[in-house]
Amino acid sequence: MNSIVVKNLYKTYAGALQPTLQGLSFSFPEGKIVGLLGPNGAGKTTTISILCGIVKASSGEVTVCGLSQDASHREQVKRVMGIVPQQIALFPQLTAYENLVYFGNLYGLKGKSLRGKILDYLEAFGLEKAAHKEVIKFSGGMKRRTNIIAAILHDPELLILDEPTAGVDVQSRSMILRFLREYNAKGNSVLYTSHLLEEAQQICDEVVIMDEGKVLVQGEPGILIQTLNECRNLEDVFLHYTGEAVRD
Amino acid sequence: MLRLLATLRKEWFLLTRDKAGLALLFIMPVVLITVMAVIQDAPFKDYQEVKFDILTVDNDQGRLAKHIKEGLSASGQFNIIDTLNGEVLTQAVALKKVNDGDYKIAIVIPKGATANIVSNANSIVNNLVQRMGMSSQLPVKEKQDSLNVWIYFDPAAKKTFKSAIHQSLDNFLTQVETNMLLERIQMQLKSKDSTAQDSFPAIQLKAVGLKEVATTTDHKQIDVVSNSVQHNVPAWSIFAMFFIVIPIAGNMIREREDGSLLRMKLIPGSYLAILAGKMLFFVGICVVQFYLMILVGIYLLPLMGLPKLVLGHDHIASFATAVSIGFAATAYGILVGTLFKTPNQALNFGAISIVILSAIGGIWIPLEIMPEHIQMFGRMSPLSWGLDAINDIYLRGGNLWKILPDIGRLIGLSLAMLGIAAWVEKRRIA
Repeated sequence: MNSIVVKNLYKTYAGALQPTLQGLSFSFPEGKIVGLLGPNGAGKTTTISILCGIVKASSGEVTVCGLSQDASHREQVKRVMGIVPQQIALFPQLTAYENLVYFGNLYGLKGKSLRGKILDYLEAFGLEKAAHKEVIKFSGGMKRRTNIIAAILHDPELLILDEPTAGVDVQSRSMILRFLREYNAKGNSVLYTSHLLEEAQQICDEVVIMDEGKVLVQGEPGILIQTLNECRNLEDVFLHYTGEAVRD
Repeated sequence: MLRLLATLRKEWFLLTRDKAGLALLFIMPVVLITVMAVIQDAPFKDYQEVKFDILTVDNDQGRLAKHIKEGLSASGQFNIIDTLNGEVLTQAVALKKVNDGDYKIAIVIPKGATANIVSNANSIVNNLVQRMGMSSQLPVKEKQDSLNVWIYFDPAAKKTFKSAIHQSLDNFLTQVETNMLLERIQMQLKSKDSTAQDSFPAIQLKAVGLKEVATTTDHKQIDVVSNSVQHNVPAWSIFAMFFIVIPIAGNMIREREDGSLLRMKLIPGSYLAILAGKMLFFVGICVVQFYLMILVGIYLLPLMGLPKLVLGHDHIASFATAVSIGFAATAYGILVGTLFKTPNQALNFGAISIVILSAIGGIWIPLEIMPEHIQMFGRMSPLSWGLDAINDIYLRGGNLWKILPDIGRLIGLSLAMLGIAAWVEKRRIA
């Protein structure tokens, strides 16, 4: 079964002259790590927002883990999906532990099982000593790691991450990437966006390169690099398809 | 239920860690109410409890002057001053003192005023008796024109104050004139009835009097007058409760900015339960604020020489009003937090709008003394609905039934504001 199917997706925001998405289509099977790559303004965040159900598409179809992303299945889709937004979507004045208990409660989790799960994840992400420290006092890397834990408390089949390693140090990035591999190894799917193409080449089974609201190319990084003679790495492939022009 | 309880717990943690927010919610209103009650105490007492010094120049030395001085003293509102530095007050000194603003009022009783009244009474009696076919020769002097009791006011004195003094003096003059006339009639009647001179009854003119009784809805007597505490404590409590718009709007915008709102929306389940938890928490804060202010009115303000706040009979109605005001204030906070994009915008709009709504809604000064066209707008302010309900309970002895229209309006407005906020939020997704 496909983890995500996006068919002919269009989105024009109110008051915008140009559509943000112009017939976007891609899909990928379960159990893969897929990178959604594109320059600034390509439409990555809009695509993720539509997948999550927080933005409505102007037209087109979206299926997540076999469930159509429409009003009738929205709640079910939310259950199978975990989202790590680009923002640190946590309450800064609460401790990491309090944040995780709160979001766990919102998922309907409680009691010993929730507390045990939180402590396990905090340990796995190297945050056990900072569990009772307010998030506002965390470093960027600590915030990113806590942000990921908040999205996986309900054990989602599909994890969507919007630039999860932006602004973090090498150690934190390495820990996050290692976690994504382990999470994927359990049979879960991962869709993530990043501007760090070396990282994407290293971790992704497949990449979707998009620009101006359309998919330019999709495939395994190694094969894409081999297909284009002049390309030595994923960054070359990316520049080949999206061009050298600087984006606003 | 878990979502609601978790949200209540989360809001509690957030509030208790925000020391400045706690001070804004609880300490500032206590200070505000105390300051407002103290500084507004004098204006509220103006014509009720404050005693004014009144300079009295007695050029008459007769019965009129004596009666005016006794009458003013007996009213309890005036200290009669007829000597300054051991010297009998003259018209020139009194005028200067009032002009200099040292005293608010001076009255000058002209020479011959009593004699003039006596002469006038004698003239009326002579006329009456002669018309009855009898003879009367009470002494009458030639009528003196333009004989007036002069009143000098401080130019800064309020119109209502001048009017009250004018009416009082006019009343004393009439009383003296009437009494003298009645005495002379009685005297003449006695002189014509030689058989029962000692047992002749005194003429009692006052057959119907006036008695003031406060009316209440449930006919229970409430011994309360509107004073500074009785107005300011409920009024500024409502103002403080509505100021919760600032922490709520700030809280909502921060949640939107830091992405926690996004995460809450990404989690399956109704966002309404989260919003209900948030509302319940802030309504609870408003109710706690309200009762804290009530305690200030009952226990703290009397320590400062102010009257004690008197509550009505129906405490359930009072609680229902506090909850309704809290609900309206919270809903307004959610609307402002939804409409505005930055905390600065919300803070400025929220604060200014509450100040305007409170000013026209009778929080600063009672609505009844505002111009009629302002009263019309004032009655549209939710703060005035809240204050009206509280006054109904505390001053008019009202019950839940009596305040139902006011709390109905508060709840109706709250639901409308929440509806608009939901509509705006829904449009954002589209």
